[in-house]
Amino acid sequence: MLKFIAKRLLFLPVVMLGVTMLLFGALQFLSPAMRASLYVRDPRQLSALNEVIQKYGLNKPMPVQYWIWLKQVLHGNLGYSETAKMPVAAAIRSFFPATFELTLVSFIPILFIGIYFGTLSAVKKDKLLDQTTRIVAITGYSLPSFVLGLFLLMIFYGHFQIFPPGRYSLNVDLLVHSSNFHHYTGLLTLDAILNGDFAAAGDIFSHLVLPATTLIYISVALLLRITRSSMLEELGKDYVRTARAKGLPENVVVKKHARKNALIPVVTLSSLLFIGLLSGVVITETIFDFPGIGRWSVIAAQQLDVPGVMGATLLSAFLFVVANMISDVLYAFVDPRIRLN
Amino acid sequence: MSRRISAAFFPALLLALVSCARKSVQQAVFDPSTYTELTFNDSDSMDPAWSYDTASDEVILNIYEPLFIFKGSSTKELIPLIAAKVPSRANGLISADGRTYTIPIRRDVTFQDGTPMTMADVRYSILRFILQDRDAGPSPLLLEPLTGYGGTRDSKDKIIPGIFKKAEQSVQIHGWDLVLHLPRPFSPLPTILASWAPIVSKQWAIKHGDWDGTEATWKKYNNPQKQTSPFFEHAFGTGPFVLVRWDRNTHEIVLRRNEHYWRAPAKLKYVIIKGIDEFETRKLMVQAGQADSIYATQDVRAQVQNIPHVDIIDDLPTLEINPIIFFTFKINGTANSFIGSGKLDGQGIPLDFFNDVNVRKAFAYAFDYKGFIDDVVNGKGIQPTGVVPKGLLGYNPNQKTYEYDPQKAVYYFKKAFGGAVWKKGFTFTAVYNAGNITRQSLLQVLKHNVEALNPKFNIEIRPIDWPEFLDSYISSKLPIFILAWQADYPDAYDFAFPLLDSQGSYPGPQHFADPRLDKLIDEAVAQTDPAKREKMYWRIQELEYEDVPNLPVLQPLDYRTQRDWVQGWVNNPIFPDSPYGCYYYPVYKELPAVLPAKAGIRRLDPGLGRGDGRAHHA
Repeated sequence: MLKFIAKRLLFLPVVMLGVTMLLFGALQFLSPAMRASLYVRDPRQLSALNEVIQKYGLNKPMPVQYWIWLKQVLHGNLGYSETAKMPVAAAIRSFFPATFELTLVSFIPILFIGIYFGTLSAVKKDKLLDQTTRIVAITGYSLPSFVLGLFLLMIFYGHFQIFPPGRYSLNVDLLVHSSNFHHYTGLLTLDAILNGDFAAAGDIFSHLVLPATTLIYISVALLLRITRSSMLEELGKDYVRTARAKGLPENVVVKKHARKNALIPVVTLSSLLFIGLLSGVVITETIFDFPGIGRWSVIAAQQLDVPGVMGATLLSAFLFVVANMISDVLYAFVDPRIRLN
Repeated sequence: MSRRISAAFFPALLLALVSCARKSVQQAVFDPSTYTELTFNDSDSMDPAWSYDTASDEVILNIYEPLFIFKGSSTKELIPLIAAKVPSRANGLISADGRTYTIPIRRDVTFQDGTPMTMADVRYSILRFILQDRDAGPSPLLLEPLTGYGGTRDSKDKIIPGIFKKAEQSVQIHGWDLVLHLPRPFSPLPTILASWAPIVSKQWAIKHGDWDGTEATWKKYNNPQKQTSPFFEHAFGTGPFVLVRWDRNTHEIVLRRNEHYWRAPAKLKYVIIKGIDEFETRKLMVQAGQADSIYATQDVRAQVQNIPHVDIIDDLPTLEINPIIFFTFKINGTANSFIGSGKLDGQGIPLDFFNDVNVRKAFAYAFDYKGFIDDVVNGKGIQPTGVVPKGLLGYNPNQKTYEYDPQKAVYYFKKAFGGAVWKKGFTFTAVYNAGNITRQSLLQVLKHNVEALNPKFNIEIRPIDWPEFLDSYISSKLPIFILAWQADYPDAYDFAFPLLDSQGSYPGPQHFADPRLDKLIDEAVAQTDPAKREKMYWRIQELEYEDVPNLPVLQPLDYRTQRDWVQGWVNNPIFPDSPYGCYYYPVYKELPAVLPAKAGIRRLDPGLGRGDGRAHHA
């Protein structure tokens, strides 16, 4: 197992190098003036466009620019993100915990609802519960997140005045930035609890509710359907019939035999969902004014903030490789017939 | 068991979430000591010598203080702030030749920690502002009048020899007087000093690693990286508020009342300026009372005007011309997809198409200004009479303007290129920066009207992203382009130079030059007699009317969206990000005596929409 993990980790720099080279290659198609747009936002600055191009070396050949960037990275400096107004490493450190917290709060219910109700749906095929989860899945899968997000925001915040956007309220804002508040993990809900301030934890959690609900509703659909179809396939197999013929209770047949085997595609999908959430959910973060990595990386891409885009890409590539590795390891646990070597 | 769990799951989850959230939100509503402004833009830097964007400048206005400030909503009348008097010829503080300004400075001003401000701070602040001179920054606004140079570096990016000495000699102190020596008279100087180069603490700057004020080290701080300055994310000023935090993660700036302020402290204890990209979220927050004012533009006006307890303050004057249609006199034909065949054959346009004044005049008469203002922007603005907007000296209400006249348009199209334009027709692509609905509508009006004149006329309209727009604009590839201009300081020169002088921001890529205009613009800025100056700007706009290098389409009126409990807000169009931004010193929150049950529309000082066309300010 260790050998497998080491091999995967060794593969990581190669993936990252490849991705960044690909991105830099794509930037070849953009002129220096286009890339200077990041620094010239106001018509009052138009006359200085050429000076900006000179200063930031935007007219240098792309391999030279890539080499400069790579040297920086090898020295542990990911560059400065103009859109985040801070060094890229600081931007990742700053935005990632928020996204990670939102991912955790969303992903656990996604897994629970997806697997539990997906299994039930298969067991109760064509019954009321199955039809209900099917409707939930179809609506969740077809609803654009910005429609659902705005809808939830209008009802809960606009009408009932609960679950506000942002990451915390003003009083908590002042608290979390005070010297009395210790940032143990970067996950603010947990940090507030560790600081013994449960009111603040409640406030921070209340800000997570709507974005998490949006993500859960949108993302759970796929997991529900995959779990259901995978379970249906397993339930129709001979070994399940044999187990039933042996007189095993249905509960054991479903949970111990069929579900375990049905989990392989579920693990694959879950890891992809997890990476998707961790890489940032742009629309949800934008609508709920949630300061996560997705919103930042999209703004960086839109504004051609090359160091910012590179940083976000490196993070995504890293997460992808690691999550893939974890899901491969999980396969072995779920199904002992699979050997990592 | 399973069925019971599943049946109870969703209602239980919802109930739990509702109950845990309700309490904390209700506590945050309506805090009279805290003002929350929701905006769209994110600040760039807190450094007054770097910042050249309205979002940053709004924060700086509340933390730092310039020598003078505009009185109330006036853009003409200055009152002293750090200075003890406003210099004028009448009080003898401007010399007879207009080249020496003596500005007495107050002796009771303190920084935010209570330490007194000194004359060394005043001189240091002005020198630092002009000598930092970052690319595309604000330094030339003051550097030019004080030294005669438009920058500290030459075209090869080398420091101009002797520039430090020139700057040093132009900014002198004598006791508690600041004395500015100008190479030539420069009339807008006081208004520039009211908008730029606020006072920073020399001691604080040096202590935190910034320039020490000497000639030996200044080059190191010339054109720096933004984030290297201690002023980038920290602030230390004399203003009514102090910067608590600029959270670039949440796009939030928190200001706290300066308890050591040398005037009476501000009424608000905290000001929070927060960037939220999504309009709907901003709207819901002002509706809920968690925001006191929000950034809302004309295109979303209908969505904010019926919110209970939210006021629309309407018809607010602006100091900008937006949009302006520019013609490119000499189009760059290299790999240019906007000009069709590149010939006058009906399938394209030649590179000098707009060099023919008849073509420009034909386009000028083909555009329906009134229709655009009435229908596209719902009457919220006026047609400018030239590049000088209404409200500034030099605006001429009697200047002839182009009006929609299809017959005259046909007449000039028939004259253009000896009749070849009318006979053969043309095709070209007009672009706008993607997402700008007003500019898209403008082009649609132009296309419709021009194409209606002759079936051989064809204009394609295409949105392009800002980066591509910039690239095409700077390389003179766009046959026509639409941009805008907003005042840096309230003076006609700030419009005439960038829009009409051959060295200005726009005429360069347009390849437009009229030596008569260059000469007049140069003379007008040095003219110290207001009556003569006004006549000169009138003449400049007459020449603009003759040359038609651009078509100023609209001087917009704006509106502000705020809770009805906001009191004391004063609109001044020269304040950064006006009318969304704010100088918070006079602002406070108090419920109105009688709460209106429904949303209200207030009209404060409508100005531009009516009156005699002169002063539009109270």
